[in-house]
Amino acid sequence: MNMREPQRHNVVSQSLAQIGASGLFLLTLLAAIPRSMRYFRETVRQLWFVGAMSLTIIMVCGLFVGMVLMLQLYHVLSIFGGTSASGMVVALSVYRELGPVVTALLFAGRAGTAVTAEIGLMRATDQIDAMEMMAVDPIAYVATPRFLAGLIAMPLLCCVFCAMAVFGGHLVGVTWLGIDNGTFWSNMTAVVDVRTDIVNGVLLKSLAFGAVVSLIAVFQGFTTPPTSEGVAYATTRTVVASSIAILALDFVLTAFLM
Amino acid sequence: MTQPVRPPPDDPHLVRIRGLTTVLNGKVIFDALDMDIPRGRITAIMGPSGTGKTTLLKHITGQMRADAGEIRVDGEDVSRLSREQLYKLREGIGYLFQNSALLTDFDVFENVAFPLRQHTKLPEVLIRNLVLLKLQAVGLRGAARLMPNELSGGMARRVALARAIVFDPMLILYDEPFVGLDPVALNQVLKLIRTLNQTLGITSVLVAHELEAVKQVADHVFLIANGKVVAQGDPKTIANDGSAWTRQFFGGEADGPVPFQYPAGDYAQALGFAGASK
Repeated sequence: MNMREPQRHNVVSQSLAQIGASGLFLLTLLAAIPRSMRYFRETVRQLWFVGAMSLTIIMVCGLFVGMVLMLQLYHVLSIFGGTSASGMVVALSVYRELGPVVTALLFAGRAGTAVTAEIGLMRATDQIDAMEMMAVDPIAYVATPRFLAGLIAMPLLCCVFCAMAVFGGHLVGVTWLGIDNGTFWSNMTAVVDVRTDIVNGVLLKSLAFGAVVSLIAVFQGFTTPPTSEGVAYATTRTVVASSIAILALDFVLTAFLM
Repeated sequence: MTQPVRPPPDDPHLVRIRGLTTVLNGKVIFDALDMDIPRGRITAIMGPSGTGKTTLLKHITGQMRADAGEIRVDGEDVSRLSREQLYKLREGIGYLFQNSALLTDFDVFENVAFPLRQHTKLPEVLIRNLVLLKLQAVGLRGAARLMPNELSGGMARRVALARAIVFDPMLILYDEPFVGLDPVALNQVLKLIRTLNQTLGITSVLVAHELEAVKQVADHVFLIANGKVVAQGDPKTIANDGSAWTRQFFGGEADGPVPFQYPAGDYAQALGFAGASK
């Protein structure tokens, strides 16, 4: 008999239990939104932490993604004499796929882990229990503001990422490789569709990714064992689970939105 | 047999526990435990480690639900309260955590002001004055702008105490308030507990292991072990009541009614000498 069989079964059942528990946790979060409105300042404070504080990494990465994409496309398209279309392809790739996906992955690494570690440490140091004892609902005061902040920040960060990527593409394509400036912009504006590429691609996807990453981060923080090892595992799980969820959800959304 | 109680509002006991039974991970923590905590007095709960003293505090505050039994705080059955009712009750209960549990994002002033900001719409001037009053009471008015990571253990516990009394609660629960304190800080905390009890009339329940400290501050002691109250009485005389429980606990004997060894299988067999011992 294969001795690994029960262990694998255990991992599968644990994963399913985690998904089920996070679904119930989402319902608790949504139910707490009206109560969390009295902590509006806390939501704004979290928006600063997960949004504004992530701007540097998002802007720098967006710039380099656009630059490298243009460089690769220019060399491939020059074989067919189609370098004038490279600006358009950069924009479509960024708006439809790379923008939302890379922003979400960076967001999970930068903000998601910070949220999980912060809540996990609050649990380990009895701060969550202290709030309960002071008759302050920790779901409404701690969890929901962080969830809402992630939900609001992700689309905004994705827009910044896309703008920086297009700017990076322009920098390499027009300034360095000599593509005509007018051709670069006119091809792009002729092909990019606001509904298909901006609303469905940038906004809808990033909103969905923001919800998933924020839910995973907050859930992992709240359910982590209150030990240093527990917090470390929870932080790792946030990155792993978020990355898988982002890529899987991207496939599903793309299939439905195409 | 234990009977449920419905005390009148002028009940001399603020907390009444009847038939409390709790099983955690298959281990019986409380086995039909009965306990009455008098109003306006300082009651100490003592017992060997792992007997559920902190769990008992969590039952009183409704943070944990019991498997059976009834806990009434000021006449309210804690297990039957809705979330809103439980939160309302907790506004009248202060809780001093073992590790202080200060909110690390806020300074000392904001930690003490936190419950006031969450539950009242008092003007800022009044909040400031109330917080400074409480900080003055614990001797830390000058530390108002320090962050929690800048405080010593004793100072952090005094800040947590100021936060716990900011609403002038009817009941304050201290979880191991003397652990890790140097003699100066210990005396300060002892004096504070006694002063708060006498000046504000707060009912105090403290979980502690230090008999000498308990003798100085408590009016009544419960010794719990094996899920039940095994001894109770005056802290100055309880150690001499002659029972095996008090002799072991207060005498510091390694073995007695509470075994030194955690339940385990045969020792020789565990070491692989099972055959040799025959």
